[in-house]
Amino acid sequence: MKSKINHNEYPKALSPAETWVDQHGDYLFRYAMMRLRNKDMAENMVQETFLAAIKGKRSFSGRSTERTWMVGILKHKVIDHYRKDFRERPVTDLQNLQRDEEQTVDQFYDAIENPRKYPKDWMPDQRAILQSKEFWVILHGCMEKLPKTTSSAFAMRELDDMDTSQICKELGITPTNLWVMLHRARLQLRECLERNWFEKK
Amino acid sequence: MTTPDNWEQPTDLPLTTSCKQAARLVSISFERKLTWREYTTMRIHLMMCKTCTFYGRQIKALRAIFTRHEEVLNNTPCTCDEQLAADAKQRMKDIIQQHK
Repeated sequence: MKSKINHNEYPKALSPAETWVDQHGDYLFRYAMMRLRNKDMAENMVQETFLAAIKGKRSFSGRSTERTWMVGILKHKVIDHYRKDFRERPVTDLQNLQRDEEQTVDQFYDAIENPRKYPKDWMPDQRAILQSKEFWVILHGCMEKLPKTTSSAFAMRELDDMDTSQICKELGITPTNLWVMLHRARLQLRECLERNWFEKK
Repeated sequence: MTTPDNWEQPTDLPLTTSCKQAARLVSISFERKLTWREYTTMRIHLMMCKTCTFYGRQIKALRAIFTRHEEVLNNTPCTCDEQLAADAKQRMKDIIQQHK
């Protein structure tokens, strides 16, 4: 049957579904791993993304590339997962948050007393960082050490560039809860990166 | 101890602001506009404190690193542990075959 689709209006069509795994599988998996830090969960999400893409084939408008479209689907699935995590976490989690943050901050300031641990100036190093594969491995390792809810909030903020009101709406937390989490994530990440990367350079 | 709802509010006078308080303000300044009082408190502290100044620069560096993350993802080859395992790929292909 001849297609009546006007290709000017729909410049791109989806490639055959059987080629998706080879084309986009690794990319989507990496995207999911960065945010979920769990191999099985990431595999699962990628698989679900492909299935949702098959179901939603018609919603592909061709205004973005096939990959961007799939990343969009995956992104929603990841956020759904974060939301579920937050809903199911114990109530004490947010109560403990304050205390944990105090501890992290105290550790930071105890460390200052020790001149060897004085925060370093990272700025001049940035260009080298971005080209170093080793740096990213260390960064991923440091993110894995963050508490789960903290790292979810941090990923939404720094990886997906969502703002406070969007994140709070998705996760059902207050702005202050979020800022405490972000502050804590930053203190922990900077400490981990400094110890494992910057001090060794 | 501060309660969650006024966590970010400076409780000390500007000249005696603790690093703890100042670091919170630095972190928050990356999320929203500080009030005049918060801003002044933070600036005065930063003028005197190299530690908190560097903390601020590190947050800024972290943000810059994450902003570039997608680009790096696109341009660097995967390390092995970031790749889908062959059996996972095959499983997905089979499932797609069934559902397409």
